[in-house]
Amino acid sequence: MPREQKQAEAALQKLGQRVRAGWAKKHPISERSRQTVQTTVREVWEQEQKDRRAKLFTPKIPPPPKNKGKDKGKGRGQEPEI
Amino acid sequence: MDELIQLVRAYQKTAELADRERLGDAIFSEIEPEMRRYVNGKIRPQYADDVLQEVLKAIVTSLSTFSRLTDDDFLKWCRGIARHKIHNQYKANAKDSERFQALPPEEIVELVGLSVAATPLATGERLDLAYAMKLLAESKPECVESLLRHYVDGLDYGEIAEEQNVNYDAARMKIGRCLETVRELVA
Repeated sequence: MPREQKQAEAALQKLGQRVRAGWAKKHPISERSRQTVQTTVREVWEQEQKDRRAKLFTPKIPPPPKNKGKDKGKGRGQEPEI
Repeated sequence: MDELIQLVRAYQKTAELADRERLGDAIFSEIEPEMRRYVNGKIRPQYADDVLQEVLKAIVTSLSTFSRLTDDDFLKWCRGIARHKIHNQYKANAKDSERFQALPPEEIVELVGLSVAATPLATGERLDLAYAMKLLAESKPECVESLLRHYVDGLDYGEIAEEQNVNYDAARMKIGRCLETVRELVA
């Protein structure tokens, strides 16, 4: 890439930084957006608490043993049923 | 580690509501203006603020899943969410709201002025900014969109490719060609 191309890129990047900084000054976060964020943060947190409680109070049912009723007696070292 | 990422990591680790609210406020005070600029550039004004709220909700809801490492990654991830919400808006309004609204030159000058009031220009920066403005002023309209999206809004080639429905190399080459053409014109 020629030097002039890099200079042009650098100039546009500097302009970009300035424009973004100026935009943030001109448009700080609005009250509506702040409220949306706070409400959603709370909703997410409440949902997490609900999920956690549900997990804690769900009785743990042991999973059914594998191959129950199937291949009975075909395991290694077991005698087949007669 | 980048400042924004530190806040995001702290948000993800804490289980206390009050801490999350405080960290959420700090994170979104930083990124809301970025998201607003991004959405405003793509959506008609009457829909823009509603779409922005949808974007913010979606970001908060997915914040626990973000796992990349830098501020740029985080902003890119946020813009990805915004793109989906904007796309939904296009579908809901039969594409009549789709457009790219470039910042007018007078607004660019105003924004630079606001930035300079807070952080004075470094040596030689005034010349660079004037040169950049000239490059944009002399560019063809279709080039202005790509140059602004890449250099001013900070989108990478992949994001621009997705926006413009072209592949990565086409987006990269278009920006390169636009810049080269206008640079030769201005020289």
